[in-house]
Amino acid sequence: MLRWFKELDRILRGDATHLSALDRGSVEVPAFGLTVVVIILGVTYGACMGTFALLRPGGPEFMQLFASAVKTPALFLVTLIITFPSLYVFNALVGSKLLPLAVLRLLIASLGVNLAVLASLGPIVAFFSVTTTSYPFIVLLNVLIFAVAGILGLNFLLQTLHRLTVAQLPPIERSQPPPRPALAPASEARIEIAPVTSESSDTAAELIAAPPTKEGAPEPSAAASSVQHSQPAPSSTVTAAPPQTGALERLQLKSGNAQVRSIFRCWIFVFGAVGAQVGWLMRPFIGNPNQPFEWFRPRESNFFEAVLRTFWSLFY
Amino acid sequence: MTGFLLRADDVLRRAPWTTRSDRPWSATRDLVLCVCIFGVTYGAAMGTYGGLSGDRLWQILYSASKVPLLLLATFLLSLPSFAVINTLFGLRRDLGEAIRAVIAAQAGVATVLASLAPFTLLFYVSSVSYAAAILVNGLMFAVASLAGQRLLRGYYQPLIARHKMHRVMLRSWIVVYAFVGIQMGWMLRPFIGSPNTPVQFFREESWGNAYVVVVQLIWQVLAP
Repeated sequence: MLRWFKELDRILRGDATHLSALDRGSVEVPAFGLTVVVIILGVTYGACMGTFALLRPGGPEFMQLFASAVKTPALFLVTLIITFPSLYVFNALVGSKLLPLAVLRLLIASLGVNLAVLASLGPIVAFFSVTTTSYPFIVLLNVLIFAVAGILGLNFLLQTLHRLTVAQLPPIERSQPPPRPALAPASEARIEIAPVTSESSDTAAELIAAPPTKEGAPEPSAAASSVQHSQPAPSSTVTAAPPQTGALERLQLKSGNAQVRSIFRCWIFVFGAVGAQVGWLMRPFIGNPNQPFEWFRPRESNFFEAVLRTFWSLFY
Repeated sequence: MTGFLLRADDVLRRAPWTTRSDRPWSATRDLVLCVCIFGVTYGAAMGTYGGLSGDRLWQILYSASKVPLLLLATFLLSLPSFAVINTLFGLRRDLGEAIRAVIAAQAGVATVLASLAPFTLLFYVSSVSYAAAILVNGLMFAVASLAGQRLLRGYYQPLIARHKMHRVMLRSWIVVYAFVGIQMGWMLRPFIGSPNTPVQFFREESWGNAYVVVVQLIWQVLAP
């Protein structure tokens, strides 16, 4: 068990998603073990959230505490199950080389990040839940915390997908391992992979292919500037201390395939929206003190409308 | 005693042992001790408003325990997310130093508060009203937390020089700490103890939310 938590720690530190660790085209983490960790963290946060129901006017509602503790991990796992097939299929369609197990591991790793952040904010939620009687406030606080954790988790997913794509380039093209400053070999790699479909990547490839003497070229495009930055890099990285590369740090290397990147971005939006809606269907997580306990509420409206309505109810 | 005061002086001057010690645990212990002792000092001074006789001694005791409790409980609640998010942004190597920096800043807050205690007492003996007493204490806390923030920024300078993400971590720490701290302060009321109400550790009606109260107050003013 402790071993699995150590795996999560490796992910959080960024060790598991270091370019050198992604050589085999997958985040090397135990999918089962991490799922267990995700469930434990979810139960922890759910219990923190459920403490609000213990101090309701009509006496404590232990069923709500139990329900929250069960529903929180379920919310994430259901979202995972709903979105996994489509991510894998679109991923394969645009030519990524990730295998199903690799995609699954990646998703679970990002859920791990998401829930680690969520659970670490649990004490704050529990404190506010115990001291607050205002239901709308607690709802909004929880929404905010879920949003923070979700943004960090999805950011991790995006960066890791990006790293995986870079790591899958043949080793000769990638040559040196990760350090932050963009390395010259990376831009060579970009020439190979840059698709000739879109205009922008076309010009990027040209600029990169051009010899360094073209440094003062008139077009100040992003690609050109990245080439310029890459010039002094090889010498400086030899002497510099090993940089701290975090799990969320953006690699300067561009993987080239713009299509893959845009699919990832769309998909992340979908993941967020599905998560919010699944959460809405699984209500109540917190338990309105004026309503009796129930496992699920009747279907009505949607998540975003409800958040707005809750916000207004703070004022009245 | 002199040794302790010298160590407290070190905290204000950001001596190397406070955050960059070879013996992190003893440094942490000294910093926490500093929070407790100076917090208790100011709290006791704050609690003397209602007088020193009979029941009122309890108020002094309560107030004395509440100031370190306010600081340390807020710190403990905010710590897990601070650690996880620092790790996630690749700053795990500096986490120990960062945590000691935030404890040292709280030690600084407590020290500044204790140094302001004589002013509070002077105001009390000048027989000001209860509302004014609250304001004076609020002012002292405001001064102390500004000083603490300044100290924290100082402690963070070397960290930020090492990795610029530390600046974001510093800001988010201040936001989270203030968010939790305000509610903690609201919940731990009364700090001063109105002379017209019986002495008690918690106020029955204080079980509420500081932010909701503020929003409702603003709304009452704006909406007819």
